[in-house]
Amino acid sequence: MRIAEPSNGESLGPRSGGKKLIVSRVCKSFSGLEVLRDVSLRCDEGEIVGLIGPNGAGKSTLINAITALMPVNSGEVVINGLRVSNTTPQFGAMSGLGRTFQNIRLFKRLTVRQNVEVAHTSALRDKPGEAAAIDLDDLLAQFDLSAFADWRAGSLPYGSQRRLEIVRALALAPDFLLLDEPAAGMNAGETSALIDAVRQSSKAFGCGVLVIDHDLRFIMTLCNRIYVLDAGQIIASGTPEEVRNDPQVIEVYIGHPKNQPTQDH
Amino acid sequence: MTVKSSVLLGSAALGLLIALIGFSALLFAEPYHQRIVFIFMVNLIIVLGLQVFMGNCDITHFGHIGFMGIAAYAVAVLATPIAIKKTALATAPFGLSGIELPLFFAVPGAIAITLIVAFFVGLVMVRQTGVPATIATLAFLVVVHVVLLNWVDLTRGPRAFYGIPIKASLSTATAIAVVGVLIARMFRDSRWGVQLRASSEDAAAAAAVGVRMQRLRFAAWMLSALFLSVAGVLFALFVGTISPKSFYFELTFLTLAMLIIGGMHSVTGAVVGAIVVALGLEVTRFVENGPDIAGFELPQMFGLTGFYLGAVIVFGMAFRSEGIVGPQEIEEWWGSRQQGKQSDAGSSEAPNP
Ligand SMILES: Nc1ncnc2c1ncn2[C@@H]1O[C@H](COP(=O)(O)OP(=O)(O)OP(=O)(O)O)[C@@H](O)[C@H]1O
Ligand SMILES: [Mg+2]
Repeated sequence: MRIAEPSNGESLGPRSGGKKLIVSRVCKSFSGLEVLRDVSLRCDEGEIVGLIGPNGAGKSTLINAITALMPVNSGEVVINGLRVSNTTPQFGAMSGLGRTFQNIRLFKRLTVRQNVEVAHTSALRDKPGEAAAIDLDDLLAQFDLSAFADWRAGSLPYGSQRRLEIVRALALAPDFLLLDEPAAGMNAGETSALIDAVRQSSKAFGCGVLVIDHDLRFIMTLCNRIYVLDAGQIIASGTPEEVRNDPQVIEVYIGHPKNQPTQDH
Repeated sequence: MTVKSSVLLGSAALGLLIALIGFSALLFAEPYHQRIVFIFMVNLIIVLGLQVFMGNCDITHFGHIGFMGIAAYAVAVLATPIAIKKTALATAPFGLSGIELPLFFAVPGAIAITLIVAFFVGLVMVRQTGVPATIATLAFLVVVHVVLLNWVDLTRGPRAFYGIPIKASLSTATAIAVVGVLIARMFRDSRWGVQLRASSEDAAAAAAVGVRMQRLRFAAWMLSALFLSVAGVLFALFVGTISPKSFYFELTFLTLAMLIIGGMHSVTGAVVGAIVVALGLEVTRFVENGPDIAGFELPQMFGLTGFYLGAVIVFGMAFRSEGIVGPQEIEEWWGSRQQGKQSDAGSSEAPNP
């Protein structure tokens, strides 16, 4: 695979502090319909970054483009100096991307442990050293899944299925974990447990996290930094505090009927 | 590669069952019935080979018997005595009419030839998915048949190829079937087998966790061809006389029915299906000939066996689309009944670890 020229990334910079996920000026359209327009963002080692935006903004499409599940029309995605956009999902995984899907995509006929082993097998092939250091039992335990290890994945309760998808992604020993609405359908207790588990794994694996969710409290609590995507464009970014107070975000986001909390402004 | 103890346990249970069938036939059956059991063992090896590909890749395979045919004819051409070839195969190309290899070379040679063909066909095959892949396998079966029929100098065409040394025994076939079960289980439950099954369930999700589906499919394809080539060699060395129609639709559908009825997603399913369909087939054959039963003479019913296979597949699919056994292996049966791993556990509350 081609090594990206360091000169073209504004933020690639001199090897300052290791792993980087850089999305620069990505455009993506589906048969003429432009879904992503000049999207640029970055995530550094160990950083937890949120991505919010109304339905149809293009958030999932962005994750699909980053993980090379779909090609981009222009722009590129670079991880640790390697271009991964327009390669293959396998190359993305090898380069350090682990992801979950908005509409849970587990291997339903396989057991919980086998679901995790599928990913771990790839990791053992692609980065044997890091992969060998992962203890699958610990990982399952951390996400409250030990008791289900021998269950068929398809028969798990909903919340556990979401957590299993994260464990499966972590078994790749990823540098960056991309989570598409991990808290969807979870109750408050499960959500706060999820926040702890994601933080812990981010520390343990030293991996950056890019997380999408509609639950603003979840995102604001979990993330160091947040991007707001609207109609395919990044309209704001910053700390949770900055984003919360950005007038454009308030207009687009709070103006969105689904998230309108009160009528007091 | 470490083999899980559960895999060994499950294989041992199935292996014991097969050994029991083989050895009781060896000890107690007359030659006629021993012959039936031998053919059953060959069919079982075919079904195991079919399971390796179909069960793990979820692609319906119509071409497997083509590999069997290639191997059978290859061993026939290599091992048949020169004395017989002088009259039966006088115009064989590449000077093959003057060659007579001992089985020690002829058998590996036949298997190698089959695997070389499988290699090139496989390169094309693994790129296809779904219906195109299935049609490609069917096309392969037809091509092999046409070649066997028309390369008269090498195969005697539609006429029987006779004089193949009769060297295979029921005990060999039984032993190979038992080993076959173990190999099929080891592949299915190996890291790569699990990755392959994951990719056939959800190719995109598997790709996202680094699974290289095409390579794994290729591995399954080659292993499957190995099973089929062994079955072809065994068959040829047992019956001594073969013809192209031995390796065509009839055997294709019989073995497909066995796998589908038993349940293609498990090796247990392959074994159970082979046994159940073979038993049913013997019963229908018996009835087909219009036997006397308790003083009543039944009419002869030609075509009853064909009808039986069709009916078994249709009803099997209608009432148990996952086959008799379902996707689980024998050793998983106990646990799943107790813990409720089945889909009905989906809505139940989870135990908190
Ligand atoms: N494969 C596809 N083909 C055509 N259009 C698509 C495809 N995938 C997504 N789209 C369109 O792209 C737009 C963005 O979709 P996307 O799923 O990325 O939004 P999202 O921000 O994830 O929304 P949500 O919050 O509802 O998940 C939508 O208008 C959607 O209809
Ligand atoms: Mg989405």
